[in-house]
Amino acid sequence: MFALAWRNVLRNLRRSLITVAAVALGLTSLVFLWGFNDGVHNTMMRNLQEVIVGSLQIHRQGYFRHPRLVDTLPEPERVTGQLHQLGVERLSYRLRTFALAAGADTSEGLVLLGMHPAMEQRVTRLAGKVDQGRFLRDNQEAACVLGKTTARNLGLRLGDEVVILTEDRFGSLAAEKLRLVGIISSGEMGIDRGLAMVPLGFMQRMLGMEGAVSEIAVQLTRERLEPVTVALRTSLDAGYEVLRWYDMYPMMKQWVELENAFYYIFLSIVLLIVAAGIMNTVLMSMLERIHEFGVMMALGCSRRYLAGMVLTESMLLGMTGVVLGTSAGLLLVHYFHAAGIDLSGQMASVARFYVNPVVHTEINTDHLLHTVLSVLLASAAAAIWPAVRAARLEPVEAIHHV
Amino acid sequence: MALIRADGLSKGYRSGDSLVRALDGVSLDVPQGAFVVLAGRSGSGKTTLLNMLGGLDRPDSGSLVVAGHDVLRMSRDERAAFRLHHLGFVFQAYNLIRVLTARENVAYVLQLRGMEKRQRLALADRWLAEVGLQGFEHRRPDQMSGGQQQRVAVARALAASPDLVLADEPTANLDSHTGANLIALMRHLNEQQGITFVTASHDPSVIAAARTLVTMQDGKIVDLREG
Repeated sequence: MFALAWRNVLRNLRRSLITVAAVALGLTSLVFLWGFNDGVHNTMMRNLQEVIVGSLQIHRQGYFRHPRLVDTLPEPERVTGQLHQLGVERLSYRLRTFALAAGADTSEGLVLLGMHPAMEQRVTRLAGKVDQGRFLRDNQEAACVLGKTTARNLGLRLGDEVVILTEDRFGSLAAEKLRLVGIISSGEMGIDRGLAMVPLGFMQRMLGMEGAVSEIAVQLTRERLEPVTVALRTSLDAGYEVLRWYDMYPMMKQWVELENAFYYIFLSIVLLIVAAGIMNTVLMSMLERIHEFGVMMALGCSRRYLAGMVLTESMLLGMTGVVLGTSAGLLLVHYFHAAGIDLSGQMASVARFYVNPVVHTEINTDHLLHTVLSVLLASAAAAIWPAVRAARLEPVEAIHHV
Repeated sequence: MALIRADGLSKGYRSGDSLVRALDGVSLDVPQGAFVVLAGRSGSGKTTLLNMLGGLDRPDSGSLVVAGHDVLRMSRDERAAFRLHHLGFVFQAYNLIRVLTARENVAYVLQLRGMEKRQRLALADRWLAEVGLQGFEHRRPDQMSGGQQQRVAVARALAASPDLVLADEPTANLDSHTGANLIALMRHLNEQQGITFVTASHDPSVIAAARTLVTMQDGKIVDLREG
């Protein structure tokens, strides 16, 4: 049946080529658009995780909703041991509180984030975002790194002294004078304004909290995020909370899902057009061969065989279009993954949403599979009506059809 | 025992306000190995009877048993399977499948029967040789003459060793010489291999070749002669 169906497809070569070209063009566009979409979304999600948040964080239960300095993580070494057992090496200890930073003439409230310089550089790309000076180096040094906006608001320049005022673990005032060693320009508002990064050891000493941490930030690949989260939630008791990046910042995930939903609607519209094109070709081809179908029925072809042949012809058109369209689409995605699409002119202000102005296309496997399978399903669905018509033909009438 | 036992077959068509009786109480017994020609003018009911014998059309009344099967009790799918396993058809306009070669056309019915590829192609080649078309195996219908196409059609009808071959005006589109050769071939196969033929035709050369001549008029059998 396959060979016969294939030859029937080639019978009217021009018409088949036009149909295949339409399917391929539609699919190429879809694959490329998914590539662009996934490129933007994946970059956003990666940036959020790699710039500051991490893939997941472990805190004392309830800390994320109501962060208090005294609610430190119980037995961080034990949690670290669990992470090592799971093969996780990219983790960072942090201590977090609120503070007042004072420059020469003015002061500003901000989040004081103590981080172990070496550990942090294995988890986030904060060090790479330093625009002037350097990132934290020594775990005990009296140094800080500020965001560009905070430094400007405080009238500080590299090498200036910054006074940090906060409460220690007992509620007493704690104040230290630190040297501004680096200024970060990330483009992200929450980092560039309202954040001061200091060495973890220095901060622990300043607050009288040696060995204490508020959170462990962990960096994982996308594939490992869910299994590691499940394993940690199983092994750690109720005194801990294990939060994935999207548990902490659900809006970004919801936004991505909303945009994906829009793409699926767009996909449905393209599928309708593809299905209509294929149905037109298959139906025309079927109507032209009514006499031949009558002969085949006389020879002993069953209705199921005829319907199957029409369906196979439709699937062949669809599959050829899918192979060509997917290949062309993936080539485009591959090319622009390396070359990038520079939209800095149009997207100058989107860095705050963790979007890079140069989009490097990439496509998620599930989106590619959904698109390809949908086109194949549309090819099959397009053949249903012609196939049913072929199966319902009366042999005598069909044989005498001119 | 008769290969075909038709009893009181009737079929009417409505044409405007009037009812046209295409078949009017036709009864016919055809023994195994017969070479029957249904003769008569256009509209006499030959093709309608042939279609009924092949299970392509159903009568309004009557009974029909072919090769021991009550054709009228079968569903559409059962009749298709019956045709596949028991009947061969030769049509006026050859009706080969345009995209298949001569050998693939002959092998097609064998494929529908589920025969393995090498076996069916070998059998197709043998039947093409039998009808004098050795060397034409890879030609498509549009690369052959009408006579050659009709020979392929005969080979296709016979390749699956049917109980009965039904031929509808097989010489109508052929010149007299080619037509005579085709009829000689059919007679040869009938005599040498005992294949039963029922042929509808008003071609005198076909009528002259009949071993049983059935003459029809206005949907009735008006004469039946053993040759």
